[in-house]
Amino acid sequence: MPSNKVQSIQESITSKIMHPEDMVFKENHTKEKYMEVLYIKTISDEAVLHENVLKPFFEITGSEEFLNYLQSHPKISEFESEQKTIDELMRGVAILFYQDFVFLFDCKIDRNNAVMDTTVETTIQGPQVGFSESLPVNLGLIRHRYPNTSLKVESTEVGRLSKTKVMILHDTKFADPNTLKRVKEFLANVDIEMFQTGEQLFDLIRKSNRALFPLMLVTERPDRVAVNLASGKVILLVHGSSYAVILPTVMKDLMSSMEDIYQTYWIAKFLQLLRYTAFNLSMILPGLYVAVSSYNPELFRVQLAMSIAGSRTGIPYPSFVEVVLMLFMMELLTEASIRLPKAIGPTATTVGGLILGQAAAEAGLVSNIMIVIVSFVAISNFVVPINAFSFTIRVLKYFILFLSTIFGLVGVVIGFFMILAYMVKLDSFGEPFLTLIQSKPNKE
Amino acid sequence: MNRYLFYIVLLNMIVNVIIFVPKILIQYRYEGAVMGVIIAIPIGVALNYVYSTTINKFPEQGIPEIIANSTHRWLKIIHLCSIQLIWFTAGLITLVGFIDVLARFINPEMPKLALLVIYLAAIFLIIQLPTQRVMYFLEIVLFINIPLIGFIILSAFTNEYLSWDSMLEVGTHIFERPSLKSIAAATYCFSSYSNLIIFNRVIKGKLKIWNFIAIFFLGIFNLFTAFFIPIGFHGSDGAQQYLYPWISTADSLRLVYSPIERAIFLFLMFYMSITLISISVNWHVSLELIKGTFKDKVSKKKNWLVLIFYASCSAAAVIYLNTVLLNKITIYWMICRFGFEIFLVVLFFLWARRRTA
Repeated sequence: MPSNKVQSIQESITSKIMHPEDMVFKENHTKEKYMEVLYIKTISDEAVLHENVLKPFFEITGSEEFLNYLQSHPKISEFESEQKTIDELMRGVAILFYQDFVFLFDCKIDRNNAVMDTTVETTIQGPQVGFSESLPVNLGLIRHRYPNTSLKVESTEVGRLSKTKVMILHDTKFADPNTLKRVKEFLANVDIEMFQTGEQLFDLIRKSNRALFPLMLVTERPDRVAVNLASGKVILLVHGSSYAVILPTVMKDLMSSMEDIYQTYWIAKFLQLLRYTAFNLSMILPGLYVAVSSYNPELFRVQLAMSIAGSRTGIPYPSFVEVVLMLFMMELLTEASIRLPKAIGPTATTVGGLILGQAAAEAGLVSNIMIVIVSFVAISNFVVPINAFSFTIRVLKYFILFLSTIFGLVGVVIGFFMILAYMVKLDSFGEPFLTLIQSKPNKE
Repeated sequence: MNRYLFYIVLLNMIVNVIIFVPKILIQYRYEGAVMGVIIAIPIGVALNYVYSTTINKFPEQGIPEIIANSTHRWLKIIHLCSIQLIWFTAGLITLVGFIDVLARFINPEMPKLALLVIYLAAIFLIIQLPTQRVMYFLEIVLFINIPLIGFIILSAFTNEYLSWDSMLEVGTHIFERPSLKSIAAATYCFSSYSNLIIFNRVIKGKLKIWNFIAIFFLGIFNLFTAFFIPIGFHGSDGAQQYLYPWISTADSLRLVYSPIERAIFLFLMFYMSITLISISVNWHVSLELIKGTFKDKVSKKKNWLVLIFYASCSAAAVIYLNTVLLNKITIYWMICRFGFEIFLVVLFFLWARRRTA
């Protein structure tokens, strides 16, 4: 018979968890032994429990021998405190009451452990498999790619209600201890109720909780994580999210695709140049159109200026209205094609792209050149490899558009450099976000 | 990390190509400007060398940190109070001058104050960054602009309408007695070393001699470009008739195959950013020096007060100074600056020698 202490622990635990429907409390008897098992069947793996605890319970005859078995089993840990026991119970751990002992048996069931294909950061060549939504599986995927003893794994909890488990990974040889300290402090100070995925940290990283630029990189690719571990970055894995967070992140990381290292040198350089050009074009072009058509038509050579002006002859309003109208239409199209179910998606793009674009020009609402520019902007925007950053650029172009509407060409140039200055001002865990020559994070 | 010194020097030289220096030099082209330039080069490089190597003895420290533990507190206050003004006005005349250029060549219908507003917004964003970050930004701006400006200068040199005879003609006035004004204007191209007063914070390690050799050759090339190219384009007499000789020169360039046919627009678009960062560097120095004057940490309110002071000064200057008046003031400002610079370098050199000996 269990002692009084165990009895009281058992009573207080059962009273605290409100007797849910899926809770199982079972008493087991043999001639020599008596054991009670408490677990929640929807989050615990009953087969594992049966195989590892119940079967030996009936097979091992001596009570002392079974105690030894329990104490030496790697998945079983001893009771520490009541609160911790309840927390663990709510995560799928079974609690065993045996003699004067309380044991915690880890039989959590991992439901989302299927490894998924990459869908956001696709590459033509190279690994095609991303993370799963299960923390142990993700950790395994990373270890599989990074089999080094210097890889250190720590874990912490974030979220007042969700108590989400977050793993902090870094390579002790390469990672900067200051950065690591900052990351840990940051995680400890995160004040949030429900923490579901690493993307939620984007806003929390700023003091004002309002961020425009992503100061961390969220990725679904284990190969990117492995490469970044080797360059001294800190990785966060969040329970239940198939994305890993890479810290600290600078502009260069946001503009790099994994394809860069799977291509030959010059091709990778060419692609990078393409990306930076697209980044700049996408930001500047709408503003430049307004500045050139309304303020300084003499900027371009006369033939080009004439064709722009000629294309705008039928348009009844100033150029900035035209640009805003067209950009707004494009944003709606982009949003619609993301949110729509896959079956209807192509219809939206056809209706929007072909019919609206062509018809708007023929109806005299926008000029033909404007349509070319808007498509240019949209396509350039999609060239940026990291999705979060391409959303940022979508917003930035309105800033330049606004300045160019008021100040003309000066607004475009100064607005562009203001954005650059702002990016220079940002830093991600002590690492400057934008510098021309990015120094190595590891200074020692 | 000596590239940072190089950037500061280069920035000042590039900025001076367009606004005041060529105008002043061309004005005195028959009255000793040539000799003035020739004299200015050794003076400029020497001042550069003395000051840079002296301040290099205090690695990674700006003046406020260096004299922070000096016993003469009143000396410190007088010192810091007066020199901020020089940096502030240096930025101010560039700002007013360039806004005048913009209003003349890009946006003639826009009120100058509107142009000032957007410039001030950008400048205030930049000058409040930490010194290291200002340097990073400067690096990026130069990286974007230098190839394009280099291209324009190259196409100026190779232009078939460039008359070398006119330049030679001005060159024959080499033995005229040099005027102080032209020397002062020409040395301004080299005076960027004085920004080290704050930017020494980011300079690590010893400065090497090749830095100064590079400054020497860059200075010769820069002064030659600023002074002689407009003369080559507009003739030795004609060059004087322009308010901004170099910008009119850029307007004479035609890029045959480019969609932007007139080089002036390219030129001014690049210079918008170059002047922006140049003013920001000057005012950053000024702001940091003001911060260094106060004993304790500067509160947000004080910081805003300084910025409001900057803004109102520049607004007043933009309203009251017209092009001609600004040019006149600038000439006297250059002379004052020249004298003050020598005074500052000598004073600092002596002080540092006593301090480190």
